[in-house]
Amino acid sequence: MQKKLGITFLLLFNTMLLMAQSKYTVSGTVKQKSSGETLVGVTASVVENPTVGVITNEYGFFSLSLPQGNYTLRFSYIGYQQQLIPIKLDSNVTLNINMSDETTLKEVVVSSKKDNDNLTKAAMGTEVLDMRTAAKMPVVFGEKDLVKTIQLMPGVKSSGEGSNGFSVRGGATDQNLIILDEAPVYNASHLLGIFSTFNSDAIKDATIIKGNSQAQYGGRLSSVLDVKMKEGNNKDYHVSGGLGLISSRMTIEGPIQKDKSSFIISGRRTYADLLANMSSDFRDVKLYFYDLNAKANVAINSKNKIFFSGYFGKDVLSVSKTFGSNWGNATGTLRWNSVVSSKLFSNTSFIYSNYDFNVGFNTDGNSININSNIKDLNLKQDFTLFLNSQNTVRFGLNTIHHTITPTTTEGTGIVSNKKVRKGLENAVYVNNSWKASDKISMDYGLRFSFFYVLGGNTYNIYTNNQLTQSVKLDEGSIGKAYYNLEPRLSTNFRVSENASIKLGYARNTQNLHLMSNSTGGSPTDQWIGNSYNIKPEIADQVSIGYSRNFNDNAYELNSEVYYKFMQHQIDYRDGTDINTVPDIESELLFGNGRAYGIETIIKKKKGKLTGWIGYTLSKTERQIGGINNGQWYNAKQDRTHDLSVVGIYSLTSRWTLSGIFVYTTGNAVTFPTGRYVMNDMVIYQYGSRNADRMPATHRLDISATYERPAKKRYQSSWSFGLYNVYGRRNPYSITFRENAVNPQKIDAVQTSLFQWIPSVTYNFKF
Amino acid sequence: MRNTVSIVLIALTLTGCEKVVNLKYKDNQSRIIIDGNITNETGPYFIKITKSVNLSNTESNPTVDNAVVKISDDAGNSETLAPEGSGIYRTNTLIGVVGRTYTLTVLAENQTYTAQSTMPQQVPFDSIKIEKVVTSSETEYNLVPVYNDPTQKGNNYRFALLVNNKPVNQHFIQNDQLRNGEANSFRLEINGDDLKIKSADSIEITMQCIDQKVAAFYSTLVLMADSGPGGGTTPSNPQSNISNGAMGLFSAHTVQKNIKVVQ
Repeated sequence: MQKKLGITFLLLFNTMLLMAQSKYTVSGTVKQKSSGETLVGVTASVVENPTVGVITNEYGFFSLSLPQGNYTLRFSYIGYQQQLIPIKLDSNVTLNINMSDETTLKEVVVSSKKDNDNLTKAAMGTEVLDMRTAAKMPVVFGEKDLVKTIQLMPGVKSSGEGSNGFSVRGGATDQNLIILDEAPVYNASHLLGIFSTFNSDAIKDATIIKGNSQAQYGGRLSSVLDVKMKEGNNKDYHVSGGLGLISSRMTIEGPIQKDKSSFIISGRRTYADLLANMSSDFRDVKLYFYDLNAKANVAINSKNKIFFSGYFGKDVLSVSKTFGSNWGNATGTLRWNSVVSSKLFSNTSFIYSNYDFNVGFNTDGNSININSNIKDLNLKQDFTLFLNSQNTVRFGLNTIHHTITPTTTEGTGIVSNKKVRKGLENAVYVNNSWKASDKISMDYGLRFSFFYVLGGNTYNIYTNNQLTQSVKLDEGSIGKAYYNLEPRLSTNFRVSENASIKLGYARNTQNLHLMSNSTGGSPTDQWIGNSYNIKPEIADQVSIGYSRNFNDNAYELNSEVYYKFMQHQIDYRDGTDINTVPDIESELLFGNGRAYGIETIIKKKKGKLTGWIGYTLSKTERQIGGINNGQWYNAKQDRTHDLSVVGIYSLTSRWTLSGIFVYTTGNAVTFPTGRYVMNDMVIYQYGSRNADRMPATHRLDISATYERPAKKRYQSSWSFGLYNVYGRRNPYSITFRENAVNPQKIDAVQTSLFQWIPSVTYNFKF
Repeated sequence: MRNTVSIVLIALTLTGCEKVVNLKYKDNQSRIIIDGNITNETGPYFIKITKSVNLSNTESNPTVDNAVVKISDDAGNSETLAPEGSGIYRTNTLIGVVGRTYTLTVLAENQTYTAQSTMPQQVPFDSIKIEKVVTSSETEYNLVPVYNDPTQKGNNYRFALLVNNKPVNQHFIQNDQLRNGEANSFRLEINGDDLKIKSADSIEITMQCIDQKVAAFYSTLVLMADSGPGGGTTPSNPQSNISNGAMGLFSAHTVQKNIKVVQ
């Protein structure tokens, strides 16, 4: 550890030396021309000196320092017309760039495109999801969904058919940091996992980073899914929406001050239960969700801007008057962007996030309520220092106050002594993106994270699951503290014009853990913070990558090999009912995990046919004392093969066809191996844990989108989709039961969902 | 809860379907199975010794008939059980008494297996309450065993259910973790996919007061039966209270029966 630290600081020192030369700075914001939305991740480079370049930050801001002289700046971004801007630099210059969407403008002639970010950027294991691609993909029930699209990337696996839970490089579903405008989203699914909480109409873009994130991200082991909401069009008012078979949505956006500030409000509501109600069996069933995204930004002056964004979503499920439940997330983010100087950009965020779950049973005057809640108050201060043309430094701090109410049961005569738990999660970080030469670029950084168990509760200490000590912490006092240093490094070596090799190492830690009895992500899952027994989970990941582009960057090949070792992984003893056990900590078991594999993706980015083929070969195992006799066993999310093929074909200027094919090895599961009889009841005998496999899942989905000719401002399109074209009965679950004729014969019964689901959606915009 | 969720989910898609599939099972290690009870009712009591078989095997489980089976209690009584054939061993003199700890020793196939169980105090099983739940589509019946949980913590109950004299192959366990010292109002969590209770059905429930280890064994079975979509709780062999790798259970418990007809 000491040695790693030494190297990191040496590199930072190197950066400081480079600072010494005096130069002029060109800085500004890059926006989309038609809507005024800021563009993130745009490469700003100098034509005369290809080694020099920066990337716009989360708010579209860039800054480049160069010696006095005449230059041509090149702004390039996938899917947008490249821009070449000549500048005369003899003082500091502010430059605001408006880039045009390739699909909307055809008159601008540009020189050869440079869609080769994969060869120049140091970032590893990163995929940026373009919402325009997601919009054309076939999805179940016709509701475009960014999480479903993310699941088609190599290394990202869906946790089950129709599920919005996902596993990244062998991680568990709770090891993904999902943030919506910086606010953590604790339950990213609606309608029992069929829909994601993200309304695509309100989303600008989404980036998934598979374990090699920069130091400003932290708190989860496996990945970061960074979702950014649109800011709203600051030029014109627009209304858009869609009508589908089971859901509808509507978005309104427009300027507050023209060209300066804007707002967007977007809402969704499903009505699946109306369909279900048509069947007499489900007349009393209510099942729906709604959600609302809202965002506004106000420019105080040319250097300061304030953003407010909020999300509110709720799921409701009830059966007549006897059973009712609802759950949902609410988040709010208040941000202040400030251009402190032409080189220093500051962002301050206050974030509120709340997730709660309620379920009630009511029979014969007896009522029971089960409730759990997690509430966060979060402060982030982030600086981007555009030090010089080679170095961009990110540094800052983050502190989150967690208030977690564990699942408590209340009702007639129920005694519950579960209390709210509090924790303080903090981090300070520094990260430098260094463009060492036109061949080598590097991201390196260090995150120092520390977690405090806060008072107001009594914490039990268990040794071998036996209570050995109780610690009573007074309100306001600080109990156990955990400290972790997380070094991060990723490097890109350009080995030729068309190829590069990448190397990365990252340590991630996790202070909040999800207790779940189910695989798919159930609303009853509960979060728990570090305690005296639960230590922060730690993952170390090493990865090596190779990227190569063909045919003038029309084709892109990226391949990465990774090995990840995880410490302090959590499971519980057999027979633990996590919802009723008085103190779940008494039932916990701890151990290690390891995951390794190779991921390959080939993309076709240009032409009438675009799309990708992604393939992952991987292994994921756990070793936990008290499970499987302490031997390594397959994690349930271990799937050997995972293939996805995505194709989008522009048939004419109006018709677009698309198709998805997926194949994955079944989950690792435990089937019985034998049977015996006790008290005249058959009981199954089991062998090694997760030694069996569910049958493989494969499926083809297709869709067609027709864009109607625009009438003045009114644009509209029809999308037709068919999910599971060849009607494969993919396994959802397998259960065992005695044969009706011969009770000594055991039948394995497979349940399947989603055989041929057609969908029609009408989208409009004016 | 989870049943409701999956039912709704399947209803939602309107296409959910079931089929019997052929699976290749891993090899099974045949183990000694010991199944025996001591109750507060008059004897004789029986111990049954069998062996587990492969899941694909459709024969009945082989029995162990040449074992030496002994039971003793903490009041100084002890006896060797008489083999009756078909793997069954019977007591002659032993009496089941509340509060006593019983020790079982089995010598079978050159291995010795032991187990202990303590018969808890009896909690009176007052009656069966049947709650009728009417929704627009169907009528359901909830079965609530009525008893008063004692103020002392740590009581565990098991219920054996017979509907129209037919045993229901589901496990029902209750305890006082949530409602210590209260009159019970929790229903038996019946899996409605396999069992629909109708008007005029005869309901017979036997309540057993069981010790902690026996309760843990059945709780594991209950959780596994409740396994949710895609596997849910990873199944495993419930922790037996018998030593030396034998499976099954030796339980000293009280029994009390109530019968009621669904109105």
